Amino acid sequence: MTKLFKLKLIALAISSTLITACGDAETNIVEKDPIAVPDDGHDHGDGGDHGDGYTIDSLGRLAVLAADSNAASFFDLDDNKLLETFTLTHDSNTLSVSPDFRYALIASRSQDYLGFIDGGLWREDHGAHLHDYEQSPVLSSYELTSGSRPTHLVNHDGKLAIFYDGDTDSGTTASVAVLTDNDITNATAALPSISYNINMHGVAQPRGEHVLSTIRRDDAQSTSNAKILPDQVGVYHLHDGEYELEQTLELTCPDLHGAAQNHDTIAFGCSDGVLLAHQHNDEYEAVKVANIDAVGDLRIGRLYGHEKSDTFIGIASGHGGGAAVLLSINPSDAEMEALEWQLADGASAVSYSFSANGEHFLVLDSLGFLNVLEAHAHDGHTHWELAGQVDITEQDVTTMPEGMKFSMTVAQNGHFAYVADPIAQHVVQVHLEDLEIEGELELTFPPAAITWLGIAQEEEHAHEH
Amino acid sequence: MKRRSQLAVLIAALLPASVLAKSIEGVVLNKQGNVVANATVEVEGSDIKVTTDANGKFVITGLKDGLKELHVVAPGYAHLHRDIMLNTSDSQSVAFNLERSPIEVIDIEATPIHMSAMESASPVSVLSGEKLRREQAATLGDSLERLPGVNTNFHAKVASTPIIRGLSGPRVLITQNGLDVSDVSRVGPDHSVASEASTAQQIEVLRGPATLFYGSGAIGGVVNVVDNRVPTDSSTRGEWNVEHNSVDDQTVASFNATTGTDSFAFYADAFWREANDYEIPVAAELAHDDHDHAEHHSDYVVKNSNEESDGFTVGASYLFDQGFIGLAIEQFNRQYGIPGHSHGAEDEHSDEEESVFADLEQTKVQLLGEYNLDSKWLNKINLRAGFTDYEHAEIEHGSVGTTFKNKTNELRVDILHSQFNEWNGGISFHYKQSDVEAQGSEAFTPPSQTQSYAIALMEERHFGDFLVQLGGRAERVTIDADNVLLPSIDAHAHDDVGGHDGHDHGHDEHSNATRVFDAKHEFTPVSLSAGVVWDFAPSYNLGLSLSRSERAPSASELLSFGPHIGTATYEVGALFDIHEDGHLGLSDHTIDLETANNIDLTFRKTQGDIGFIFNAFYNQVDNYYYQVETGLYAESGHDHGDDHDHGDEHDHSSELPVYLFKTDDVTLHGFEAQVAWQLTDEFKLELFSDYVRARLDSGGNLPRTPPLRFGTEFSYQTEKLSAHIHATRYQEQDRTAPEETATDGYTLVNASISYDLSVLNQDLSLYLRGTNLTNTEARVHSSFLKNIAPRPGRSFALGIRGYF
Repeated sequence: MTKLFKLKLIALAISSTLITACGDAETNIVEKDPIAVPDDGHDHGDGGDHGDGYTIDSLGRLAVLAADSNAASFFDLDDNKLLETFTLTHDSNTLSVSPDFRYALIASRSQDYLGFIDGGLWREDHGAHLHDYEQSPVLSSYELTSGSRPTHLVNHDGKLAIFYDGDTDSGTTASVAVLTDNDITNATAALPSISYNINMHGVAQPRGEHVLSTIRRDDAQSTSNAKILPDQVGVYHLHDGEYELEQTLELTCPDLHGAAQNHDTIAFGCSDGVLLAHQHNDEYEAVKVANIDAVGDLRIGRLYGHEKSDTFIGIASGHGGGAAVLLSINPSDAEMEALEWQLADGASAVSYSFSANGEHFLVLDSLGFLNVLEAHAHDGHTHWELAGQVDITEQDVTTMPEGMKFSMTVAQNGHFAYVADPIAQHVVQVHLEDLEIEGELELTFPPAAITWLGIAQEEEHAHEH
Repeated sequence: MKRRSQLAVLIAALLPASVLAKSIEGVVLNKQGNVVANATVEVEGSDIKVTTDANGKFVITGLKDGLKELHVVAPGYAHLHRDIMLNTSDSQSVAFNLERSPIEVIDIEATPIHMSAMESASPVSVLSGEKLRREQAATLGDSLERLPGVNTNFHAKVASTPIIRGLSGPRVLITQNGLDVSDVSRVGPDHSVASEASTAQQIEVLRGPATLFYGSGAIGGVVNVVDNRVPTDSSTRGEWNVEHNSVDDQTVASFNATTGTDSFAFYADAFWREANDYEIPVAAELAHDDHDHAEHHSDYVVKNSNEESDGFTVGASYLFDQGFIGLAIEQFNRQYGIPGHSHGAEDEHSDEEESVFADLEQTKVQLLGEYNLDSKWLNKINLRAGFTDYEHAEIEHGSVGTTFKNKTNELRVDILHSQFNEWNGGISFHYKQSDVEAQGSEAFTPPSQTQSYAIALMEERHFGDFLVQLGGRAERVTIDADNVLLPSIDAHAHDDVGGHDGHDHGHDEHSNATRVFDAKHEFTPVSLSAGVVWDFAPSYNLGLSLSRSERAPSASELLSFGPHIGTATYEVGALFDIHEDGHLGLSDHTIDLETANNIDLTFRKTQGDIGFIFNAFYNQVDNYYYQVETGLYAESGHDHGDDHDHGDEHDHSSELPVYLFKTDDVTLHGFEAQVAWQLTDEFKLELFSDYVRARLDSGGNLPRTPPLRFGTEFSYQTEKLSAHIHATRYQEQDRTAPEETATDGYTLVNASISYDLSVLNQDLSLYLRGTNLTNTEARVHSSFLKNIAPRPGRSFALGIRGYF
């Protein structure tokens, strides 16, 4: 110890002799405006989120695709001001939203193109707090152009599965790519994917580490009438950036079209009924609910599900539209029944959607009515009943310009739906509990499609265990 | 080198001998009087360098009058310094006798002044040639860990980084060809170093403060990975290697090659490695109840310790009489599992261990050049410039959790003057700018920009038997972060066990607002060092080095605020402090430089059948930045998609202990010893030991300090065959920090044998290497994962290497 003490003295001696120019340190801290956290009365029981972050309180943003030009406009829903208009690369586009509602997706199926526009409003989990960002919308340089015919885009729990149909004429095959908002932000070059060696009009449902995606067999084996439609479902599991087929569901699903999932089940529409796949650990089990008489010679080609809704809504229709029958499918009883409420004569549905909390099912029809259905439980059975109708237009619906229609989107942070009216060239804000129009956003062009962007309310993703 | 000696001969032939050129010719012999071919003879303070021919002969021409200091280097021999006075006669004849050195002496390239293990005042070591190939591992830490004074933080084999004399992280700088490697490995133990040993030519370690050459980040030492990516000559040569390892099914393949024309040189290398989870002799978790495993499974593995990496480099340079200039581009990719990345909220019903892995990608561009002016004042200019773009994403459940980015630009110019009054040396300018950013759930540090400018002076001179090395450096470091966040986290103690059912995190009068700061730091660290080497007796020397080094704290040490899963702590930077009322606010303490006062003493025997190097050091660090446990806990806030909305009572598993960066005075002291004894021409015995003691002056120990180590290597070497047996004993470490547990000692035994043969004009080397032959349980005290990831069990590697 004495030796060490001496060394210490030497060290001190060095430090005093060598200080010819002593180092300097200067710190300058300016406190900026704090980010106030509104007292949200948020669930403090969950132990996870204390709401201490600085969240932004905003109604969100609205992306509007123009019907008369290849442009997309972005509006601030708090003050209905136009933020930015982007000219799109291609002419025929569809509009959808990224899994976490940050990006607007511009898809041009015929051009094999998927582009992304950052809505500018998003949330990051910084661990200690949730951190919200509010910036101007910007066109992302990220584009997906390698897949052929991107068709069905399915969002679930933070993931988007893109189903590329492929194309017989050009000899391209079908594939699936899965991405998250983060992948768009980081411009991830290699997305986890599935590649097929045949083309098909299929659909993929992302679910945690799995993707349930359709399989088209050889035409000789396929039970589908239209051979382009798949008739099997595969369970794919992510390994090292690639999805590998782990299981093929034994039950077939002829002319498979349309799929949806809720907390427990994934449903696929088949010409002979609805295929329900249920997860047990890493295995999926499937049952088929056969079509009921009400389906007639129609087939269920579209399905809607919500994480919090026990039942799926199926839409049975003929090929190419026409009359439609709305059905509810209850996976726990493996039961299908026609809804009491059906579309009025002369009305056809132009858009369907669950509300953000899953308690309502919305049917926007061609006559300009937003039909709000509500789930009621009777004797443990869920029934859907009409809660009310909102007349969203004062215009003469027969003056609807050729090729245009009403369109709808649902805000994920409250009780609002937005309906776009190409005749009046505006968007109305509908309160789904009060069934009233509470606001209007004026446009200078006819809207072709709209989608809500912003920060979804946390409950939206929550599923109780 | 061959090119240059031919050039010298050519110049000699062209110039009339009488005009200005004086020449030295000579022969290099060993102690037995046999000639030494391929020895390099260098004129210090100039670029003149020639190689001896098969008869051990050399000629140096074109010299001016005056005292010439010659430096003779040959593998297996001690370096020789000899002063030759050139005046009247046109040419001088000399004979040099080289003494054997059982300790390999290789000059390092990390510093502009000449340094090697045997000759400099401060301690260095070099791993190169066969020895590097024997020791190379998937990570830099594991590759270097058998060098004296260097330990690994062994992060389950996937992300190990070197610890030098007990220091690591922001105190040890890792460079590639003298330029910062610019990854984020200095920030977290689970972040891998973006540099590859299998394509490197040599790896140099500067132990102890090296701020003089590299600035703030080098207060504990420097690891410099050298390769030939910007070739300095165009002689065609190359090396390839394929190896398979049993313990982790690892396959490695690598090559590097250099070729070119008279004026252009080209270089390429590439490597590829794939490894599975590695096997271990015991269950991964310490304190595992052995009752459950009455029958021993032999297939214990450290889950999620697999790795896959690849990379390539291409470079080209223009060679001219006065030097070279060239450019190299590297792409480096690595994917590795992060074992023990168990996030706070572990779901009870998820049987499957969640596998988090990191996906790392780096593009590196380096521009290197050298220009020999040989004018009256200036001798040489060295230029190094680099640009790196680094990114790594931590991927959980198939989606990106957190992304770390680092973009760095760096420029360094060394201007070496011509010998002036027998002083050799020069001045060095250094600029570095890095943008570091993290995004996502584990972004515990706000985005920041660090910029530094530095000027340094280094000089050395021989005074008879004394070599004096002096240096000084002044630096200006700025750290700007305009969005430093101080959220009001609900940090709380866990003292009232069971009283948590209500879970009322009293949101009292303290507002919930997050405070935001624009923080600008400006530091002016100054480093000074003085060293002397005294050749007090033939074959022996004594070195003393004194230094005072200052370090600016890093952005993560100052600004952090958030959960850091790599260390399983909630990190709070030194900018913040806990106030009396228990709330976190801005610290009242001034942010100051860390200062190290270091004394290094070296005693060496440089030549003969026995060689040794003994180092002792005493390093007193004032204002040492380190993390202390606060006793508080905060939510990790990390949910993995499956939200933890379990409604059940408050679960502590999703919380992390809050660690606060603060400063204290610390003393580190210890030693390194290395003895090599050439028993016969074939047999050699080496012994080594090292130790560091790291304690707070106010009492207590620093965490994760490596234990006392000693080991031996016995080797047999003939022209064709070489065999090595190596044993290292790691003692128990019971000098622990408060939150730490003691770690048992263990002994590792390795052996290797290789056979050289020549096939189709290619030199091939077949080798078999066994590691951890006794299959012992070895837990590394300096590892963050010591309780869940011991070292790999017994493993055999079979490989083949070729040279052309």
